[in-house]
Amino acid sequence: MAIIETKNLTYTYGQGTPFQKTAVENINIAIKQGEFIGVIGHTGSGKSTLIQQLNGLLRPTSGTVLLNGKDIWEDPKKIRSVRFKVGMVFQYPEHQLFEETVLKDIAFGPGNMGLGKDEILKRARAAAEFVGLKEELLEKSPFELSGGEKRRVAIAGVIAMDPDVLILDEPTAGLDPRGRDVLLSQIVTYHKTRHNTILLVSHSMEDIARTADRVLVMNAGHAAMFDTTENVFACDRELEKMGLRVPQITKIMAVLKAKGYPVGTALTVEQALKELIPLLGKGNRNHD
Amino acid sequence: MDYINAENITFSYDEPEAAERHEVLRGVSLGIRKGEFVALLGHNGSGKSTIAKTFNAMLLPSGGKVYVDKMDTQDESVLYEIRRRVGLVLQNPDNQLVASVVEEDVAFGPENLGIPPEEIRRRVDEALKAVEMYDFRLNAPYKLSGGQKQRIAIAGIIAMQPDCIVLDEPTAMLDPRGRTEVLDTLHKLNREKGITIVLITHYMDEAVQAGRVIVMDSGRILTEGSPQEVFSQVELLKKHQLDVPQVTELAYRLKAVGFDLPGCPLTIEECVAALEPLLKKATVGEAYGDH
Repeated sequence: MAIIETKNLTYTYGQGTPFQKTAVENINIAIKQGEFIGVIGHTGSGKSTLIQQLNGLLRPTSGTVLLNGKDIWEDPKKIRSVRFKVGMVFQYPEHQLFEETVLKDIAFGPGNMGLGKDEILKRARAAAEFVGLKEELLEKSPFELSGGEKRRVAIAGVIAMDPDVLILDEPTAGLDPRGRDVLLSQIVTYHKTRHNTILLVSHSMEDIARTADRVLVMNAGHAAMFDTTENVFACDRELEKMGLRVPQITKIMAVLKAKGYPVGTALTVEQALKELIPLLGKGNRNHD
Repeated sequence: MDYINAENITFSYDEPEAAERHEVLRGVSLGIRKGEFVALLGHNGSGKSTIAKTFNAMLLPSGGKVYVDKMDTQDESVLYEIRRRVGLVLQNPDNQLVASVVEEDVAFGPENLGIPPEEIRRRVDEALKAVEMYDFRLNAPYKLSGGQKQRIAIAGIIAMQPDCIVLDEPTAMLDPRGRTEVLDTLHKLNREKGITIVLITHYMDEAVQAGRVIVMDSGRILTEGSPQEVFSQVELLKKHQLDVPQVTELAYRLKAVGFDLPGCPLTIEECVAALEPLLKKATVGEAYGDH
């Protein structure tokens, strides 16, 4: 059974007003427990509207969101528990830090779940470790930290609630290459350790190519594609029409293939090397 | 003398509680020539934003001198002259737009210069046309996309008729389409109006399009040169955990295992051109039965 499923999901902003706009229309997707899903689409494609319905921040205009087979709006009073199960890390989450110390900030989420004090602190410390925050930072004010550290505090705050599904909206935006690599590998390690489900929204096709099992492509409010990362990035022309692109390495392999060379697809430089080295090996090596 | 000259500048942010002063710039000398398109790369904390902010006297160096068009940025009497010549565009477009109508926002700068209304009208129209946002002149900025907002912010600078625009990660918050819009606009302004561009970015595909690339690390210049010269130093950049374009890395690693690839490809086209002779040789050999 899918952990999250949407049925004919539609959301219209300002319904009944002259500004009425349907942002998401008739989305039917099913995500299995343990999957790592990449979500791409240009600004205004409906990504944010979609993911905000998955944890009940927006209530669908029509259609349903099923969490473990159950309509999350069946009892609107229990929507809070959905938000503990489906954790959401917003864009630039460091803007939402507010507590006196890093540890208190991380503990705020689990603190609202009715857990014991020891359990709350245990979870907060484990979450801090997951995102690579050093022990000595935990008693500091979050506002003394660097931008990259602040973002890790914000992500730890959501991880500490131990959600079954973790949604990250552009977690690496604005980070430098080093910060981005570190954060991405922490997310991948977290996914491997906890075996939970992750949705990663990103404008970086390279990040998606490196991490996702399947990719959901949003375009003009519709789910334009939902397939394995390889199959989605094989559609470079369709993606370009939607204002998206494929990783540079994927593109060059597609160009070579279109020119008639017998090469396969690649999502990473390593995969491209695996394709090219045996092929080029025929009579080209200097010191063979 | 170059248009902008930084001479051995140092900079420390004042942190009264900190035990030791944190040196952000540790003696940097560089020149930006008129009409250049320069990309400034480096990690967060490398000093690249700090140095860019000294180019229009937003920050003054703790030691050393910065000259803009031969004017010392520490001379307060020429502050407005410097700010008029060198405009600054920041990362978040939402923090830079002030008016509720696009054309009023673009007019904000020239209005403060005390320019006559007819001249302002002319400059605003020209600036909006230059960034291809003229059709949106009566729209509300908040309804525009990120890329469009950044182009409005750039138009606001152009209306001041600057010699140089310094942009601090202007595309960090944009989607691929918005990034392309902004980059194309900058290249057009550089090419057609001769405006000097200093672009701070984390995106290597943006840096390879520049005329010159400067890489900052720990408050110093790590390396600089043409994109070819800089990105051919794959080892050095990797050691400092900086990115190189994927095709550059591909060519580098093929060379490392013994394939004879010419030059340092930075784009897909260049990499295809470098690979094709080898691919032809390999696949022809196969077709004729390489037994």
